[in-house]
Amino acid sequence: MPSWQDFQPFIVTGLALGGVYALSGVGLVVLYQATGVVYLAFGAVGAMGALITWSLISVGVAHWLAWLVCVLFSGALTLAYGLVFGPLLARRTPLVKATTTLGLLLILYGAMDLLWTTSGGEVRSLTLPTDGGGFSITHIQITWTQVIGLAVGVVITAGTAAFLRYTKLGTAMRAMANDREITATLGVPVRRVEAAAWLGCGVLAGIAGLLLADMVALDATTLTFLVISSLAAALIARLRSVILTFLAALLVGLVQNMLVPIQSLTNYSNMAPFVLAALALLALSRRRVIALSREEV
Amino acid sequence: MLDVAGRTASKRQPRLLLLRPGPPTLIRAAVIVVLLLFTLLALPQLLSAYYVDAMTQVAVYAMVALGLGVLVGRVGLVSLGQVAVLAIGAWSAARLLFATAQPFPVVLLEAGLVTMVLGTVLLLPALRLRGLYLALITLMLAGAVTIVLATLNFPNGGHGFTGYNGNQTHVPPIRRPSIATSDPAFFRYSVIVAAVMFALVAIHIRTRPGRAWAAIRQSEPAALATGINTTLYKLWAVALASFVTGVAGGVMAGAVHYLYSIDFPAYTSITILAVVLMGGAYSLWGAVVAGLLMQLLPALLQNWGVSNDWLTILFGIGVVQVLTTAPRGLADQFPKDMARLGRLLFRLVRRVRPVVAEQGETP
Repeated sequence: MPSWQDFQPFIVTGLALGGVYALSGVGLVVLYQATGVVYLAFGAVGAMGALITWSLISVGVAHWLAWLVCVLFSGALTLAYGLVFGPLLARRTPLVKATTTLGLLLILYGAMDLLWTTSGGEVRSLTLPTDGGGFSITHIQITWTQVIGLAVGVVITAGTAAFLRYTKLGTAMRAMANDREITATLGVPVRRVEAAAWLGCGVLAGIAGLLLADMVALDATTLTFLVISSLAAALIARLRSVILTFLAALLVGLVQNMLVPIQSLTNYSNMAPFVLAALALLALSRRRVIALSREEV
Repeated sequence: MLDVAGRTASKRQPRLLLLRPGPPTLIRAAVIVVLLLFTLLALPQLLSAYYVDAMTQVAVYAMVALGLGVLVGRVGLVSLGQVAVLAIGAWSAARLLFATAQPFPVVLLEAGLVTMVLGTVLLLPALRLRGLYLALITLMLAGAVTIVLATLNFPNGGHGFTGYNGNQTHVPPIRRPSIATSDPAFFRYSVIVAAVMFALVAIHIRTRPGRAWAAIRQSEPAALATGINTTLYKLWAVALASFVTGVAGGVMAGAVHYLYSIDFPAYTSITILAVVLMGGAYSLWGAVVAGLLMQLLPALLQNWGVSNDWLTILFGIGVVQVLTTAPRGLADQFPKDMARLGRLLFRLVRRVRPVVAEQGETP
């Protein structure tokens, strides 16, 4: 058993990763609440944004501009998908809506592999200027990127929670989560609210893509499928509460990283999100045996 | 439930299975027999070694698609983790083939049974969940299984439970049945195994379980109310699908000789679901189409020097297209389109019946 000292650096990386998972998880939950879509292409969109940023930086575009392009690209692509397929699939089950986003995932994944081919063994990396600096608390080196990871998670979660609670648009989104038809009857511009949710989710995908490209790896496959880990957090919160998603994301990030120093479990650490989500889903759905009308858990 | 048919289909009048117009059973059977004989006798002679290999993989993936088709098309359970099930089957078969001298078919059967038990046990608690949540939990479970397999490694002739020896310099190939050691012979062998699996599923669909599954897919509460043990029949479907996929894994182990965990990346599950949806989850022919899409198309593209990434993009477009407009996939859509074309061209022909769109898909 490793000593407490060995765990300390992994707590830091765990919290930072958890913060980014939270950011992604919150994006997924908000979109699911407003539109009923589990956006499985979240990771792929972010990954493509990050790869575009990498290309722009390598041809000499200013860094801030390249980052902005990543966020804008992710937002625009997600919004475009939402505008085309949102109304088309509005009356279908959540499963069909989620499966359709797998189509987008495959398209983007194929395109990324085609445009930024990895067969040559070329290793790309995207480093943020915040990697260099940092400070240390009792021998643990903490980079500013890690601080940003956690901070962005906190800010986005708090901001989204407040937005849903206090603004008119947020209230409309919560109403849509309950019943789309009735909300429309009450005069809420349903399409516009949905478009806002798509855009927000896409922007978050871009930010998460940038941060994860720096923290984990700038690799299409890795980034595309990191969405599953973020989804784990959202699932633990049953795709409902933003705050719970945040806490679950921190838990997932922490557990995943704290398993690394335990030698016998190192190889299995990446299983943590899956196992946690599976257990949570099973525990939370103990009671319900049959759903009569609308699809719920 | 994956109601891929959506609203358009539910408006159609329900028709009884027996009253459905379609080609007579005899013709249908004759078509199947002729196709099978052609595949077994003529195809290995016509194709180069490269395409014989590819066609063996088609047989394997047709079985995988068949298993997923049972879940998606019959019961309405979407699994995003079939590649993990396939890997479990391949692993068990490889381990048994190294450890024992049992005949190949016995090993296939055992691998199928092991996979059936594991698949059922893994999904047993998850069957309380429905629809989206079940699909997502299979994604999670498959991710977990993939990581375990990557750590465990595939057997390479070593000793112990895992049968893996990292220091081995000479890795023995996984053996094939003595009657089918050459590539064309093993291709015939895998086609026969696949045909047996298709027959097994077809029997299920036409008998009691098939009717129960149809009822469950339409409405689970209604099925329950009519006295169908929904849990039993759902488990039955999962067990059957896992068994078929496990056998496919066993065939795959023999086909490739060497197995590595990187051959089973988790995202292949998504591709498998994509080709099953594109091929048509409601028809057994859809599984054949899915196998061809999944394995023959990449082989063709590679031969032509086109990147496989185009195929991934095509599958993505296919999924979106199927889910939004053509819910029954190519196996259903293509003959219909051809029939429509035929009617346009030859007005003389009153009714052109598609020959292959035959399975008892409920409206």
